[in-house]
Amino acid sequence: MSYSKEKVESILNNGISRRSFLKGLAASGVLSSLPGGILQANEDLNTKIPYLGQKNYQTFRNACPRNCYDTCSIKTYVKDGVMQFIEGATESTYTRGGCCVKGNSYVKRVYSARRLKFPMMQVGGKGSGNWKRVSWDYAMETIAKKLLEMKKEDGTLLGAALTKYSGNFGITHYGVEGMFNSIGYTTRLAGTPCWPAGIDAQNLDMGDMWCNDPEEMKDSKFIILWGVNPASNSVHSMKYIYEAKSKGAKVVVIDPVFTEAASKASQYIQIKTGTDGLLALGMAKIIIDANLHDQKWLDANSKGYKEYKAYLDKEIKLDNVSKITGIPLAMIKELALSFVKAKPATIWMGYGMQRHTNGGSMIRAIDALVAVSGNIGKYAGGARYGHLSTWGFNYAALSQTKPEGSVGYTGPEGAKGEFAQVGGEKAAYTDRFLNINKTARELLNAKEPKVRLLWVACKNVFSQDFDRNQLIRAFQQLDLVVVADQFFNETVKWADIVLPVATQFEEYDVNVSYWHYWLSLNEQAIKPLFEVKSDVEIAALLSKHMNKLEAGSCTFPQSVDTKAMTIKEFNPGIYEQFGIKSWEELKNGSVKAKAVIPYADGKFKTPSGKFEFYSDKALELFGSALPTYLEVRKPYDKFRMTSPHSRWSLHSQFQNLEWMEDMHPEPYVYINPDDAEAKMVKEGDTVAVFNKQGLLRVKAKVTDNVQAGTVLMYEQWYNNNIYNVNELVDDTSSDMGAFKTGAPGVALHDTFVNFRKL
Amino acid sequence: MQTFQPQTTSRLDDIKHLRDIFNAQNSKELKVAFDALNPSFTISEEDLEVQFNRYFVGPMETVADPFASVYLDNPDVFMSKSTLHVRDLYETMGFSYSLKNVIPEDHLGVELDAYYQLLFLEEAKEITYLSDLRHYFLHEHLALWIPRFLERGLAQSEKDAPAITFILQQLKSLLIRETTTTRSS
Ligand code: SF4
Repeated sequence: MSYSKEKVESILNNGISRRSFLKGLAASGVLSSLPGGILQANEDLNTKIPYLGQKNYQTFRNACPRNCYDTCSIKTYVKDGVMQFIEGATESTYTRGGCCVKGNSYVKRVYSARRLKFPMMQVGGKGSGNWKRVSWDYAMETIAKKLLEMKKEDGTLLGAALTKYSGNFGITHYGVEGMFNSIGYTTRLAGTPCWPAGIDAQNLDMGDMWCNDPEEMKDSKFIILWGVNPASNSVHSMKYIYEAKSKGAKVVVIDPVFTEAASKASQYIQIKTGTDGLLALGMAKIIIDANLHDQKWLDANSKGYKEYKAYLDKEIKLDNVSKITGIPLAMIKELALSFVKAKPATIWMGYGMQRHTNGGSMIRAIDALVAVSGNIGKYAGGARYGHLSTWGFNYAALSQTKPEGSVGYTGPEGAKGEFAQVGGEKAAYTDRFLNINKTARELLNAKEPKVRLLWVACKNVFSQDFDRNQLIRAFQQLDLVVVADQFFNETVKWADIVLPVATQFEEYDVNVSYWHYWLSLNEQAIKPLFEVKSDVEIAALLSKHMNKLEAGSCTFPQSVDTKAMTIKEFNPGIYEQFGIKSWEELKNGSVKAKAVIPYADGKFKTPSGKFEFYSDKALELFGSALPTYLEVRKPYDKFRMTSPHSRWSLHSQFQNLEWMEDMHPEPYVYINPDDAEAKMVKEGDTVAVFNKQGLLRVKAKVTDNVQAGTVLMYEQWYNNNIYNVNELVDDTSSDMGAFKTGAPGVALHDTFVNFRKL
Repeated sequence: MQTFQPQTTSRLDDIKHLRDIFNAQNSKELKVAFDALNPSFTISEEDLEVQFNRYFVGPMETVADPFASVYLDNPDVFMSKSTLHVRDLYETMGFSYSLKNVIPEDHLGVELDAYYQLLFLEEAKEITYLSDLRHYFLHEHLALWIPRFLERGLAQSEKDAPAITFILQQLKSLLIRETTTTRSS
């Protein structure tokens, strides 16, 4: 008998010879003689002609659910059950057929050899690295038993805590909170590390956080990108900015860092960090002094303009503004006057600027500047920050009732985070809220009952939260830490049980953006790999096991299918807003909400119904009714450190994928040449960056993209690297946030460090 | 350091035990298959599984992923060209696979199963209809990636995991035996 490669390949690749071979196979008695294993004899012989390059794909609708402005609408191409490639859907004029470098790597993410594959338990203790495979049933029974035991011992389930944030903003993923709602009153890590100071600021000024459609920016005549870098982090928005620019609009970037967006702008203004509020106040003063403000709009639509103007007259000295911001006065004047003369003009405020101890006050000052210029409530105008106005889903997965007789928290109530706030009657008990931005400390300090079980979902605690050493202590004192994730990361390292979670291509869901106005269906495009399950399937399984052990102990449905769960999220309001009759229409591509210009009718959701320069609520909560200048945090070490996002990752997500590692394999500290020279640091040297919080060793890049006195390190996790910039960040709060999201934000960019060459 | 005696069990049995090791779903199944391969090696069920997972399963980055595509196509991704090639081969061999699109066809356990069944046809049932395909599978696929897998695993296991070294050595001798003694061309 001989073996010929050519012969076999011709059988494999040639439809006719393969067919005759298979016919012979059927006749030869092979099938009945196979002993059988994982592979079974195929009685129903598949004589299909093998793939020879035809484009016979099945397509599915998906959406990128990561915490990104763009929330891309995706078209997924599948062949024989395997994802081949994705592209941005063309139906969404926002996504317009493209994804970013992260989105384009989705196939590699789904089929990454690094995916978590099975539920596993760490048997040698947290951090031991000794993992055992367990069945889903065993994992869920263990968790269910622990919960019921805690409930019996403590009389409540407040010992069970949930920390979940932005790894997946798909609507059904609020089923994780739903799962916790369905077992009783529990403890939640509440608030947001991201944007709370600005949310509060905009709510004080306008009664809402609501921004114009970004697609309108193409018709803006003047765009200020203030502390935002869309060229890296909202790439689809750039086309509108380019279009405006090509039609003659001026695009100005104000940022302490010379960013990618700055390199594309008409003008870049390097401002001293944390002085943006003062610049805005100075610009408003210049506009008012030149009598170019929109008095008519202000008279009709604002409250407290007089007090605001009096404040500017008395307290804002333009020479000081120039000195403190580091921008020549002539440049400020030219900026203010050209901004106000261009109509419509708009300012996009990023989430970087508000990550300061005076962050909320800076957003208020910029809102006021846009109001003074008469650009609020105008097409292609607006003070843009973000919006949740298309998020009116049912939150069916989230809204679960408590089991009968549940006992909860009776202390002071806190708010519950920025997304998916569902109203309801005031109950005798509430959940207990701990500040997500002080996770380590709060977990360690919570008493009566102490936290014994922590569930982590859609979040990499060790990458996003602060004070790693305290976090390790906090995790170690917990009886049971459950982490549901797609990849192994440092949070999983400190878990007792890890549950592998489905990607959006393996489940149904629905997605909207906090920036644009598109709605996308997420269809299940492939079977879940290995033993991964979606967050709502996990919740259902927990419910099944809890009810098996104690009937009635969990109200979450005991079996779900992600499609049925997704359908339940739709309602007539959503259909009306998006102009569709059924969710099924989304199978043809995403749809856009009907155009509305925020506040065009002059109606604001503030107590006065007007734009509030003077806010009683702000006075009550933050001690200042007006958008006044608040100095930035005083340095406690030699250099300021900023930690923005890079374009290669979304927080810690994507960074571990091959493409990203190729382009951006390791962290750096970016140092201004003057500072580098003073410290005798050269490009590529390893330096220690340190402060009272901790120390990191990283390679230096010397660049005047950052100003003297400031160093920059990207926020994220790098695979096989213990680097995490948050190790240098203390958890000092920004000025605002507690009003709307339950806890103030973190003043991430008010971190100070020193460094030396190693 | 333990030394290992060459095994005297049959060719078919060896493949079956190795297959069962790589397809084990829990420590018990793993230990049973391991003991069948070498009853004299003492290691607890838990230690064996913990080591096995560190090398081949996760959740941490494994020492050597047991997927052909990782060695043949792209070190970070499975379900790629080689996986689909093996899928095609299995279909031609007359196999159906209930875990299609769940566990990639080029997982070592699945490939050993295919090889075992094909050899079983020839050795135990004396049916040679698929022999060409078995040789092709062995020489044009298994022999291309398993040595790289072994190299990666052994480089580490010889330092810290004798049980894993044993498994890998058995796989290595099997591959040598199969590739040197069964090819007739
Ligand atoms: S990360 Fe943002 S830009 Fe990239 S694909 Fe996802 S939503 Fe789109």
